[in-house]
Amino acid sequence: MLLQVENLRMHLHLRRGVLQAVDGINLHVAEGETLGLVGESGSGKTLTGLSLLRLLPKGSGRIESGSIRLDGQELTTLPEAELARDIRGRRIAMIMQDPMTSLNPVFSIGDQVGGPLRNHDIARGTALRSAVVDVLKRVRIPSPEDRLGDYPHQFSGGQRQRIVAAMAIGCTPRLLVADEPTTALDVTIQVQIIALLRQIQHDQGVGIILITHDLGVAASLCRRIAVMYAGQIVETGPVRAIYRSPSHPYTQALLAAIPRLHSKRTRLAAIPGQPPSLIDPPSGCRFAARCPMRMDQCAAPPPTVDLGDGHSAACWKLAN
Amino acid sequence: MSGFLIRRLAQGVISIVGASIVIFLISRLSGDPILILLPNDASPALIEDTRRNLGLDQPLWRQYLIFAQNALAGDFGRSYRWQMPALRLILDRLPATIELALCGLVFSVLIAVPIGVLSAVHRGGWIDRVGRIFAMLGQAMPAFWVGLLLILVFAIHLNWLPAFGHGGVSHVILPAIALGWYPVAAQTRIVRSAMLDVLDSDHIRLSRALGTPEHLIVWKYALRNAAIPLLTMLGVYFAAMLGGAFVVETIFAWPGVGRTVVEAVFSRDFPVVQAGVLFTSILFVISNLLVDLSYGIVDPRIRDAR
Repeated sequence: MLLQVENLRMHLHLRRGVLQAVDGINLHVAEGETLGLVGESGSGKTLTGLSLLRLLPKGSGRIESGSIRLDGQELTTLPEAELARDIRGRRIAMIMQDPMTSLNPVFSIGDQVGGPLRNHDIARGTALRSAVVDVLKRVRIPSPEDRLGDYPHQFSGGQRQRIVAAMAIGCTPRLLVADEPTTALDVTIQVQIIALLRQIQHDQGVGIILITHDLGVAASLCRRIAVMYAGQIVETGPVRAIYRSPSHPYTQALLAAIPRLHSKRTRLAAIPGQPPSLIDPPSGCRFAARCPMRMDQCAAPPPTVDLGDGHSAACWKLAN
Repeated sequence: MSGFLIRRLAQGVISIVGASIVIFLISRLSGDPILILLPNDASPALIEDTRRNLGLDQPLWRQYLIFAQNALAGDFGRSYRWQMPALRLILDRLPATIELALCGLVFSVLIAVPIGVLSAVHRGGWIDRVGRIFAMLGQAMPAFWVGLLLILVFAIHLNWLPAFGHGGVSHVILPAIALGWYPVAAQTRIVRSAMLDVLDSDHIRLSRALGTPEHLIVWKYALRNAAIPLLTMLGVYFAAMLGGAFVVETIFAWPGVGRTVVEAVFSRDFPVVQAGVLFTSILFVISNLLVDLSYGIVDPRIRDAR
């Protein structure tokens, strides 16, 4: 297994209290597999992604327990210096949400794309230059050898996301964490970036964790998805199984909320209520307050029920 | 780019003409130079005669036109007091003033940038607190007082550095510190807040996520972004140092334009005052122009926007 995350808990120690942003997460990604991490804003998807790299909010973020193993190597106990040198950008890379702000405005793209290659001692001098040109070609930047001295503002949004992708894949990482890579882009450009991620995966056999709130994007790229709610994973399984027979009430509500082109309904479906505060959250099921199928049992933490074929969900209704 | 340059040069010329009018009028308000030039018991006839010889009997606007015409030809008149061309006098003193202002600026940047950067990186830590106290002290201490203190400690008690005059490197250290002391506070603050902004930006987060060593993130990728607001400020301070160095120049007996102009004001030596202040304003305009041009070097977006 490429990545195995067990019972990961990452809490933010704020002045207002302890925010249980990531609370007992189990994930695994096989080599060359794409896992979709789906959920609404504030569900802890991005913080889960950052926790894998141990890039926690300075001062407040702390990994409380659990383990993250990459190719069997434990990352939670690895010293910071080794993490920066051997893991970040080398074996796990990350693409951020907004391509317009993800590139440094005052450095040329040649410098920025070359940065990870330089820092991880993969190439230097003329070899570095040709490596940068090569990786920019792979993300389909036209005539990259002429554009190494250009700056981010001279590229379009879609091209910038390609450049960010080039920075991420330059060192041929084993795992790519893509945090909403298409959210800030036009729909037509989104399709191109999805195609690019597919191609990267095909060429390099890299494992991808795709963080998104867009169920459509997740379905088009992923074989398996994990649905996150309030810092926990409520349902995980193959894309088909989850879309055909969503088992957790939250997943069901989420899928019902997708607007359909041929529906006669004129109002958008919404899930009533709001996610609970993660400072002092309910001790039982975190979705209970909004759940149409709530029972007395829901006051206790729900068991994770295996539904077969790698499909599982955490809900009392399924346990009975 | 060239359009931008021409526009900025034209603005500079207008500023200098405006400055020359203001200088000309203000210096006329400071009193009658004849009374200082001639002995107290000079006869009215001699006073009239001298007035006519120096052209001081003409209406003000004529005096200004004569002044402007001659100034364009490089003739600012002769110093009433030193009996030499005013321009020569100023040009002789100019290098010393520029030297002092540059050293003061370098001193302030050398102190402000590291403190500002480290304060931002270790926000709320001891260096941040010490930096804030340091900055407060800097703004609370006027240049003349810092100058006297420096002379007292380093020249008189420790006897490490000369207390006054112009010469080798050792002579410029104390006046440069006295001149650069005050701007340190403002520069530290601007570097700190700019660094805090940049360190919180997406591209720095991406650099971290891709394993960029922390020293490169801070001193390379973040600092160049933070340099843009600092640069604006440096332009203003450098110009202020060129024009405002007279206090420090006087304390350290530094043979610069500022001290010469102050002496000329006291002796109502109009040509020297006019030449000195006009030259300072030209330097002011040039230094602002250089700063504007240097944005393009630091920030490629500005380079292309022109």
